[in-house]
Amino acid sequence: MSRKKGQEKIFEIKWKTDLPYRYSIGKLAVKFFEELKKNKKIYGSKCPKCGKVNFPPRAVCADCFVEMTLSDMVELPPKGTLEGFTVVNYPFVDPQTGGMRPFPYGYALLKLDGADTYTMHFVNETDYTKLKVGQRVEAVFKEEREGNMGDIPYFKVIKEEE
Amino acid sequence: MSEEIEKKIYRGRIKVPYKHTAGAYVERFITEIGKNNKIMGVKCPKCGKVYVPPKMICFTCFEKMEEWVEVGKQGTVKGFTVVTHSTPVMPLEPPYAYGIITLDGADTDFVHLINESDPKKLKIGMRVEAVFKEKPRKRILDIEYFKAI
Amino acid sequence: MDHFEGINFSEMWCGIESAPGYLKPVVKVATGGTTGSSLAICGYYNVASGIYKNILVIGWEKLNEGGATTGIITAFDPVWERPSLAGALGPLALMAGMYSAKYGITPEQAAKVTVKNRSNAANNPFAHLQMPNITIDYVMSSQMISYPLRLHDVCPQSEGACAIIYANEEETKKITDNPAWVKSVATSHYYTFGTDDKMYDLPTATMASKKVYKKAGIKDPIRDLDVAEIYEPTSWSELAWTEALGFAEPGQGGKLLDEGITQMSGELPVNPSGGVLSTNPIGATALVRVAEAAIQVMGRGEKRQIPDVETALAMGFGGSLWTELLILGKEKLR
Ligand SMILES: [Zn+2]
Ligand SMILES: [Zn+2]
Repeated sequence: MSRKKGQEKIFEIKWKTDLPYRYSIGKLAVKFFEELKKNKKIYGSKCPKCGKVNFPPRAVCADCFVEMTLSDMVELPPKGTLEGFTVVNYPFVDPQTGGMRPFPYGYALLKLDGADTYTMHFVNETDYTKLKVGQRVEAVFKEEREGNMGDIPYFKVIKEEE
Repeated sequence: MSEEIEKKIYRGRIKVPYKHTAGAYVERFITEIGKNNKIMGVKCPKCGKVYVPPKMICFTCFEKMEEWVEVGKQGTVKGFTVVTHSTPVMPLEPPYAYGIITLDGADTDFVHLINESDPKKLKIGMRVEAVFKEKPRKRILDIEYFKAI
Repeated sequence: MDHFEGINFSEMWCGIESAPGYLKPVVKVATGGTTGSSLAICGYYNVASGIYKNILVIGWEKLNEGGATTGIITAFDPVWERPSLAGALGPLALMAGMYSAKYGITPEQAAKVTVKNRSNAANNPFAHLQMPNITIDYVMSSQMISYPLRLHDVCPQSEGACAIIYANEEETKKITDNPAWVKSVATSHYYTFGTDDKMYDLPTATMASKKVYKKAGIKDPIRDLDVAEIYEPTSWSELAWTEALGFAEPGQGGKLLDEGITQMSGELPVNPSGGVLSTNPIGATALVRVAEAAIQVMGRGEKRQIPDVETALAMGFGGSLWTELLILGKEKLR
């Protein structure tokens, strides 16, 4: 909040946290990232009971409370559809780096073909007038992959013949 | 750690800038340390207890404290430990020592660094003196550490 | 909350100098955006259960010390969500876009919400953004910060605190002859994993409202409620939330506003305080909704008072898309 004119400067102690952490991603995510790194493939998880396909892969079906294992993982095509979109156009500190997140960037809720759940990711379009709900998109893979989400830096807008 | 476990671990960091509006008492305490190399406390008007670092209200009398008093740069160690284990978020490279120090003229203790990492040379009751930082940065570490005297 | 100010274990600070928690049992409740309503509901449980006679509930936030967007990102999944997440506004923008795409809600209708709430805020001495002369054009010509959200479609970052005293029946008599009574409370979750569903229509608000209405004997919320203080982080969300709470049919939130029903003079005024669009100290925001609902019931709203309030609704909404509701009334629930 901005201070009013004439108001005394408030004594502030400034600091920056820099906390390292280790996060256990689970065995399904291990397979997901292995397949992504080695074979440029995208895997989701399919509930053995109701057949709901989760992408990102989840270990438990939210509807049936059934556990999904490695054998329930299914390959999904790298194409999907925008369900919602925005263009982030405001400055903020990215807590992953401690620096400003570059903006503007396209940001979308998208659904991969064959998946029943959604995921949020970057989209390579910063003009919101060029995006629409239902827009087709395709995952872009990095050539030198490391086995993390950075291997799919963004989804690109595609045109498809009907 | 086994490779199998290592594969499941995502290593991240949380890096966030903050500022803390510390209040008028901390402002005066830290400013006096940085500008004048003085350590100030506040005195309870009822029980006479001197708080260092300063607090607004006496914990025993519930009185508001407004009388500022300078206390000594020297004090007595009430307890200590030597840190030998290293983690990524420490103020110094181990080994280093922490002491619970009561400054001359104060009735409360506070925790600070002691520049002696040999546990054999530290003892309860030993005398220490504040060493001030040459370029203060508005931090409690403007008292860089306490040295044995 | 800890991740906004960078102070963990903040309940330890409820000592003698700030909140009077010294020598008393202190419990911290933090549930994201719903923190304030969780506090309010925990306060109610603590007293209604008979464990305590009197308790003080405090919500607070100092967003100037950190930053809401940065802090919120740290609350989400490090692998799947943090890389692209832009705090709360990114997902709220997605929700607003999906909602308007589905129902044809217009930016004008959204802008009207800001105009209503910020001009209401001019009657509230505690509000952060008081804009008595705000216009639809002013909102619609402000900077696009995350399509379809413009700067004035979103809540500010505020500093502030709110406190409520809960007392049992006997103690209440000693404090006031004009209390607000808690008639019913509900918490609803739907969240499994962040993006399993679209949730722009906030199903948890529908779930929670059915529960509180039933317990408080409310059959038609427009008729049976006299005022509502709801948690609208954006102008678009007030329209969607009013539908989810059963004030209008799905897709009719814009029409509800256009007909003036949620205005100060309408049949069910929404956010006479100015709402979240005017004031948003996150850890206090939902508690402010409850306090404002209580103020309306007690008739202490001064310039923002709605006449003859018998029953009021307060809402908390959080980052995990859950909803908490409280119904307060002049009369005790029989
Ligand atoms: Zn299932
Ligand atoms: Zn005293």
